[in-house]
Amino acid sequence: MDTKVSLYLDPQIRDWVLFPITLVMILVGILRHYIVILLQSPPKKMTRAAIREQRALLRSQILRESSGNSPVPPAFYQSISQHLSQSFESGSYLKDGPPKSDAPTAPPNPMSDPAAMDGMMAGMKTQAVMMVPQMVLMGWINFFFQGFVLIKLPFPLTLGFKSMLQRGIETPDMDVRWVSSLSWYFLNFFGLNGLYALILGNDNSADSSRDMAMSPYAGVGLQQPAQAQDYNKLFKAEKDNLELAEGLYSWTGKDIETRLLKKYGKLP
Amino acid sequence: MSKELAVALQKLATYRAQNSRASQQTFEQGVTVLKHNALWKQGDDGWAFLEQLTLASLDVGKPDVADRCISLLTQKFPGSPRVECLTGIRLEATETPEVALKYYDDMLSIEESNAALWKRKISVLRRMGQINRAVEELSSYLDTFYTDVEGWLELANIYTSCNQYTLALQALQHTLLLAPQNSFYALQAAETAYTAGDIPLAIKMFLTVTDMSDDSDSPADSIPEGITVRSWYGVKLCTRNLLKDSRTTSVSPSQTPVPEHVKLLDELATERLLTAYSSGNGPVNGREVLVKWLEAK
Repeated sequence: MDTKVSLYLDPQIRDWVLFPITLVMILVGILRHYIVILLQSPPKKMTRAAIREQRALLRSQILRESSGNSPVPPAFYQSISQHLSQSFESGSYLKDGPPKSDAPTAPPNPMSDPAAMDGMMAGMKTQAVMMVPQMVLMGWINFFFQGFVLIKLPFPLTLGFKSMLQRGIETPDMDVRWVSSLSWYFLNFFGLNGLYALILGNDNSADSSRDMAMSPYAGVGLQQPAQAQDYNKLFKAEKDNLELAEGLYSWTGKDIETRLLKKYGKLP
Repeated sequence: MSKELAVALQKLATYRAQNSRASQQTFEQGVTVLKHNALWKQGDDGWAFLEQLTLASLDVGKPDVADRCISLLTQKFPGSPRVECLTGIRLEATETPEVALKYYDDMLSIEESNAALWKRKISVLRRMGQINRAVEELSSYLDTFYTDVEGWLELANIYTSCNQYTLALQALQHTLLLAPQNSFYALQAAETAYTAGDIPLAIKMFLTVTDMSDDSDSPADSIPEGITVRSWYGVKLCTRNLLKDSRTTSVSPSQTPVPEHVKLLDELATERLLTAYSSGNGPVNGREVLVKWLEAK
């Protein structure tokens, strides 16, 4: 096979197609990183009531966590636990105060809550910055360089890689080592992350392959956890957990004197 | 970079990492750094250094240096909550508490959930002697930011200063929940329980502390140290009370049962205390006083 070179690539292709595509993709990635930084809105300021609501569950979780071997004596444990149960029952930890009896029980629609809406918009905005340049780039490559063979890989590959490396060229017989322009685009698309990390630091937002798997809503959950949660329901559930923990409760100081006397050999 | 400067930067970084106050030293080293104009060589650490130097210079009474630091920080981070808090502390250092309180109130009305400013406000209230308002604010603060151990300790401290030992004990229970591994908090709770007159609860908690802080393999041979000695003193005090007048002292507001084997516990505490004050080479300083105290009924 080496004796007969099947294909000879014009060096002009290297200079005017291969390098420009790579360079443009790197530059677009860096540009995106800075645009995303510009678009990021500062974290929203929360009211005291909202923080209180969000953290109320934490209180009972902390209490429950150690209930099997609690550092807190029974009388105090009971009072803390019952206080929390009652507050959860009456809903006094809710941001908007205790619910009215005739209020609808359906979970709040995220579209109607302006705070949740903002978070979603932020996610969509960054998403747009991710997708638009990639679409433009792909169109550019498809329009000008369709069917180009750009590079020959220096190592042999099996036929299975054909669809990956020769996208856009429908030839059954060409050696798999030849890479088409569209495939080169995809290779860069997935492979430039290491380079971005080198240039921009580790938590950069230049890499777009990561967002491909994410839906526009996936980012929302990360940025503002539990935004659309129905705290009233969560509190009711937590109340049951508290009762369960109360059943499991035991104080570390319960038999401490016999344990210590045994430890120091005073009791058998 | 000169050697003097390198040493100063090194020391400052250690102080920051250990969260050590050491204001005089920090101030001296910090002025060296400022003199060499080496702020920009530290990268992002430079800002943390400025914050550190601000607090240190206020501690040693040099508000002019603090002002310089704050103006640098304000230029870099306009509207930052941390810088706002520093500005407030700067006001507290030289102005009357009323002015500082006014500043904090204004700031909190813009951004009510800034925990650092809220805590400063509470401390100013306490300093002004408005204990009522301070307790009220602190309770509402802790209701919002439950996990703040410092806040619970402060609340316990305020209650203790007003002789409200039962309330202080309640506040300390939350620190126990939040930091169950810290035997110092447990000791504080035990001592508060003792002061509140809840002897059965106190002895149980003192025993817990000794158990926590002495985890050697052969406990009978180990020499109690530091906090363990203190809690054995606590045990001894409790058993002495229980043995002397069991009818009144065994009443427990928290319904804690009186431990069994009080007599044995008393012996054990005496033995442990004597061990603490003896070493391989003869009695330790203070042992006679201890023996005298142990013998006194």
